[in-house]
This record gives sequence, C-alpha cells and structure tokens, in this order.
Amino acid sequence: MKKSILDLYPTTKLLGVLFVFISILIVPGYAYQYAILPICMVIALLAGVLQSFCSLFFKGVTLIVLFIFIIQGFFYPGETVLWSGWIFSLKLEGLNYSLLLTSKIVAITASIILFFQITKTKDLIIALEKMGTPKKVTYVIMSTLQIIPQMRKQLNVIMDAQRSRGVETEGSLMIRAKAIVPVLGTLIISSFENTQERVITLESRAFTTQRKKTNVTVLPKGPLDTIVRIVLLLLLVLIIWKGVIG
Amino acid sequence: MSLLSMKNVSYRYPINNWKSLKQVTLNIEAGVFYAVIGAGGAGKTTLCSVFRGFIPHFYHGELEGEVQLFGKNLLQYELADIAARIGYLFQNPFTQISGAKETVFEEIAYGLENLGVEPAEIRKKVEDVIALLKLEKIAESNPTELSGGQKQRVAFASVIVMDPEVIIIDEPTSQLDPQGTEEIFRIIDLMKQRGKTIILVEHKMEWIAEFADRIIVMEDGQVVMQGDTQSILSNPKVMEHGGTLPQYAEVGLKLLGEEGIHQVPITRKQGELVFSKLQKGGAE
Amino acid sequence: MAILTLDQVSFRYPNGTNAVDRISMSFQAGEKAAIIGQNGAGKTTAVKLMNGLLKPSSGTVTVDGWDTKEHTTAQISSKVGYVFQNPDDQLFHETIYEEVAFSTRHLNVDAAEAKKITDTALELTGLTEYATLHPYSLPYSMRKFVTIAAVIAMQSKVMILDEPTAGQDGRSLERLTRITDYLTGIGKTVITITHDMTYVANHFERVIVMANGHVLSDSTAKEIFWQPALMQESYIQAPPVSQLASALHWPGRIVTVDEFVEYGSGQVLERKDSM
Repeated sequence: MKKSILDLYPTTKLLGVLFVFISILIVPGYAYQYAILPICMVIALLAGVLQSFCSLFFKGVTLIVLFIFIIQGFFYPGETVLWSGWIFSLKLEGLNYSLLLTSKIVAITASIILFFQITKTKDLIIALEKMGTPKKVTYVIMSTLQIIPQMRKQLNVIMDAQRSRGVETEGSLMIRAKAIVPVLGTLIISSFENTQERVITLESRAFTTQRKKTNVTVLPKGPLDTIVRIVLLLLLVLIIWKGVIG
Repeated sequence: MSLLSMKNVSYRYPINNWKSLKQVTLNIEAGVFYAVIGAGGAGKTTLCSVFRGFIPHFYHGELEGEVQLFGKNLLQYELADIAARIGYLFQNPFTQISGAKETVFEEIAYGLENLGVEPAEIRKKVEDVIALLKLEKIAESNPTELSGGQKQRVAFASVIVMDPEVIIIDEPTSQLDPQGTEEIFRIIDLMKQRGKTIILVEHKMEWIAEFADRIIVMEDGQVVMQGDTQSILSNPKVMEHGGTLPQYAEVGLKLLGEEGIHQVPITRKQGELVFSKLQKGGAE
Repeated sequence: MAILTLDQVSFRYPNGTNAVDRISMSFQAGEKAAIIGQNGAGKTTAVKLMNGLLKPSSGTVTVDGWDTKEHTTAQISSKVGYVFQNPDDQLFHETIYEEVAFSTRHLNVDAAEAKKITDTALELTGLTEYATLHPYSLPYSMRKFVTIAAVIAMQSKVMILDEPTAGQDGRSLERLTRITDYLTGIGKTVITITHDMTYVANHFERVIVMANGHVLSDSTAKEIFWQPALMQESYIQAPPVSQLASALHWPGRIVTVDEFVEYGSGQVLERKDSM
C-alpha cells in the first residue's frame, strides 16, 4: 500500500490537490472541508508519513486556526451572543464564520502538506518537464527548494565564522538575535553572489541547449494512476452536479 | 590544422581598466595535452574563458582579435552550441554543483539530460564515470552536502561524462590531497589517450611534467613561452616569468655542468637516470 | 608553558562517527607546525577543537590557561584565530579594509591603533592596494589572503590556517612563508593544514601526521618523509626530491632541493677526489 501511494505519478497526486481545492469551494458548510484532514491523515498513515505530516501540519496550522477563531468569534458582526466577559462577547455568527473559513484553510493546508510528503521534488520536476514546463522554470523551483536547506547549512557555517571572529553567538535569545540579524543580509547576498559562477556551471552542463531534455529517472504511470484519476473525476462530477442541481 | 586558435587577442573585463590578455596568438592542435602555467593573475583563467566562449558571450567586456573554434569564428557561435564540444571546469569547486539535482548520480547525468541523450545510455555513461572516479560511496549523496574535494571530483565527473572533444580544466586539484590529485591526473591522461584535446591550468609541476605534451607559459596577459614539455620545464627562464619548475628540474639545473650531468631531468624516472651517474663509483 | 594543549581529546559527531580519537598534542608560543594527512583524516576537526568551534566529547583542550569547554567560541577567538578552508565562508563586508578592520572591534584599542593593526595586516598579505575593493572582485586565491589578513588583525596568540596553500602560485607561497615567519617572530604560534609536501618540507620543523582520527606521528619532516610505512598508512607522499633521493638510494634523508644539491655536488667532489 505504502509503495503504491508513493509510486503514484506526481501529476496524479497534483490532481488530488486540485480536486480538494475545487470541491471545498462547491460543497457547502464545513463538515466536508474538515473531513479532508482525517482523510489526509489516513493516506499519510498508509504512506508511512503520518508522523512528519502531523508535526508539520499541527505546528503550522494550529496557531492560525486559533487566531481566526478568537478574532472572528469576538469581532465578526452578529447578534447571537453565546458568552460574554468583560468587554468581549463571543457571537454565534462569528463562530460560524470561523468554522467556514478555518475548515477551508485546514483542507487546503492538509492536502498541500500531504502532497509534498508523498511526492519527491525531483519526481515532480520530471513530471512537469514531461508536461512541457520550460527548463528554466523547473530549475528555479528545484534550486529554490534546495536553497532553503542549503541556506540553513550556510547560516551555520557563517555563524561559525562569526564566532571565530569574536562575535558572541551563544547565550540568551537577545545575544543570538544580535548575532544572526546582521548576518542574514550577508547570507542572502552570498547565496546569490555565487550566482554568476553557478550560471557558468549550468552553461557547462548544456543548460541553454535547444534540444529536448531527457530524464535519466523514468517515472512509470501505473494502472493505479488511471483508477485514481477516474475516481477523482467521477467524484468531482458528482459534487458539481449536486452543487448545481442542489 | 588548429582545433582552436587565437590571433592577436586582447581582452579587458568590464570592471577593470587594464587588459587581462594582450596580443595573444595561440594554436591548439587536436589530441594534444596543453598545460598552462604562470603566476596568479597572469591571464590563465581568462585564456580558458575565451576558448570556451564565456568571453565575450557571458562576461562581455572588450575582446579584440580573432578567435576560432573548430574552424568557425567564436562570435558566430551560440554559447549553447559549444557546451557539447568543449567541457569546462573552473577553479572554485564550491559553485560547480548545478543545484538542480539531489543526488550525485543525477548531478552527473544532468548535462547528458540537457543534451537529450536517451536514458539508458545516460545511465551507462554515468555508471562508467562513477566507477572511473571511484564515486560509488557518494553516488546517492546530495551534492550540496559534499566536502570541497568531493565536489571537485563530482564536477569533474559531470564534465567528462559529456564526452566533449576538448576539455578545459582550471585547477581541478586545488582542494585534493596527493592521492586525489594523482587520480585526477591519471584520468586526464586517460582522456587524452581517448583522443581528447586537453587544456589544463595547474601549479603542480611534477604532475604536469609527467603527463602534458606542451606547455604554455603566461605572464601579465601574454604568452611568454611555449613549447614541448621537456624543453620548457627544464628552462630556468620559466622561473623568471613567475612560474615554477618540477623539483627534479630545479636540482638538475643546480647540478648541471657537474661531472656527468649534462641533462636537466623533469620527471623522477629521468632524475634517476641522470643522477645515478653521481653515485660514488657510478657509471664511468 | 604550552600555549595550546590537546589532552587525549576525542570528538564524536552526532551521527556517531569518531572524527578524532584520543589525540594529544601541545604547542609553545612562537612555534610553527604543519598538520598533514588525507582528506577525512580529522585535521579540520582537530583544529576546530583548538579554537572552540567544537568541544571535546572527552579529553581537554587548553588554550592559554582556558579549558575550551568553559568558554564560548567567541571568547576563545581572542586567543585562537582560525582561517577557514573556503574563504567565501568568512567574507562579510563591502570592502577588504572593512573586513580586516572588523577584527579590531574586539581588541579594546583606540581608532588610531586599530588602523595601524589593519594596515599592517593588509601590508603583510600584499593587499594594501586593493583595500577599497570589494572582496569578490579578487580571484579566489587572493580572497584567501583577505581572510588571512582579517585573522592576523585579531592579534590572537595562536593562528590556524586551514589549507592556505591550495591553488596558490609560487609567489603566494613565498608570501605565506613571510607571513608565517613574521608571526612566529613576534611570538605567535602558527598551525598550518596543508597538502603541499614540498612546502611542508621547506618551511616546517615540526610536522604532525593524522590518519583516521589519530595522530600517527608528531615529528620532523626528515623523520616523516623517510618512513615508507608511515606514509603508506596515512596516504601521504614525500616531496619529489625525497622520492628521487630514495630511488637513488642516497643517504642522509634529503627533503629539500638544497640538501639534494649539496649531496649531489658532494658526490662529484668525492669522485673528483678519488680520481
């Protein structure tokens, strides 16, 4: 099961995300939208990535959801007061609005996080290239994604260099902040300072050739892909039909 | 017939107000291994950039004179057309990883992918090169996480896998230990035996003496000496021009004229032959 | 009194590999030493332990009386300056002058003194005429000298140079020698990691050989470059003249050009005498 999910063609998985995007806008209410989360978690479990999915999702989304509930709950215009304290009153309309808004956020975030958990970046790039995406675009995607861990590593190296030059980096948050902030500018610049040489490197690898690019990694499209795509299409048609007909 | 040539070429980088190349005339013949030597700033890297077409297509600046690659004027080329025929490795190993790939295997394959080679063929070529450069242990590692020396070897692999006719290499062993250096030189020699034309910039004279066919000495933007390896690397004038000689030649020059020493050796084997005559009671 | 001591120091990386295993070495003020060995032998780990970037998993590193475990790297940097292998990791400022002058910030000196220190460092490294330029306008090999100047300006008692010889031409190597001699002349300790065995044989009395996280030898060039078993175990090669002298079966453990020439002309004289 795990392998089948992970082996699905990247575009198939992308279609899944697209399906979520469209369906949550058509289906009324918030139950369906919220339900996307447990569905994603089940898929994550089957694919063996539940732990990383949960840690990423809950870390990122919990605060936002809470924030929205508080703000909208107390400040969204409405009459039906559920609870009151000091100068604030929690209204039903606000709560309702929060549920509608956060459910969509949860659905979108869950599907995107799941997508990146079960899709290797390089596979996505290959799929995109096969669809005709220009090399320059895929290169930007790939190298940007690589830049972030690279920058993190480079930040450590730069911090080591700073320490070795007498800039205190260990200790309270204040001290560390004072050490990191001036360096951030340099970090960004040095990441791009080497751009000229990197362009030469790409040039040496025939990046600008007009020939059609091949891929050493071959991504298979299996029968499961076709099944999943058909199912998604049918579900979407169903939802639209119900949404339109009522 | 020259494969690559320069006639009265001068060049000035956009940000400088001096010329990095001054009236250089040079002919590169097919299948020959050239070593370019000289002090830092002499113009060696600039020379390489011109032959690869990065000057002027990439660096702009002022280029005078005539440059021909494979019989056609450099200015008539699109930069992309040169990539398959002239491989290029420059000095800084830390920026020679493309950033487009997550494993060493894919990194090496990248150039061939861009050239539109069939996947099966790419696979075979990459595997051959990995075996040649003994990169098996790091084949699945992320190239951005490698050490300087490892990056240098991966970059080298990525260029030779593309099987270009000419390979221009600018200091490929600066980060390598003696063993790594030996490997690189042996592979460069192998490329030469396969018929490639090599232009190598290096400081490690003993290795150059061992493998290079011809030496080009540069100083201050000009080619001040050129000739076959044996005559150049035994010539003390090289040192006047800011270059260094193999240690065997250094001692040879100092002992030249002493009884029995009529030749300046440039390699260890030659040194053994020449100096064995100095043994007490040696060959009379 | 040793200025820097490593006492049975081990360091283990988070992934479990022992980068160095119970190494011991000590250095006096005004001393210079070369550390050689294959890539991966533990040389850079050893020097990072010396400047406090890494703290020992076991054993003690003592710098001018301080136990490195009890001080931050920034504090230790006042006593041990470290020039990184890749100069681009250490360049942060708009001009070379600023880069070097930055080191004087922590020195507690007035502006005039700071300028003097900066100018001296620039002069030593041959960068005076480039002081107003952006570091990246110089080629890679010269950017290395910028970082060397910056560390010289820190005025620390110990200076560690990580592969300063890589990619340098003959003139730059001469400059490096002048810098090292100047520093040891004013009582600084200079530790150099290098792959250039000719450079080592020509300029260093003390050579430390590392392999697989261990110190295999802490001796002289004459000793090390004439021990085939040691060199094989640590994957190092002797300077070309030594290799040649060895092939010729010449006695005397030759490691420099001058020694080779001396013996060679001596042989000629001997032959002339015996004729």
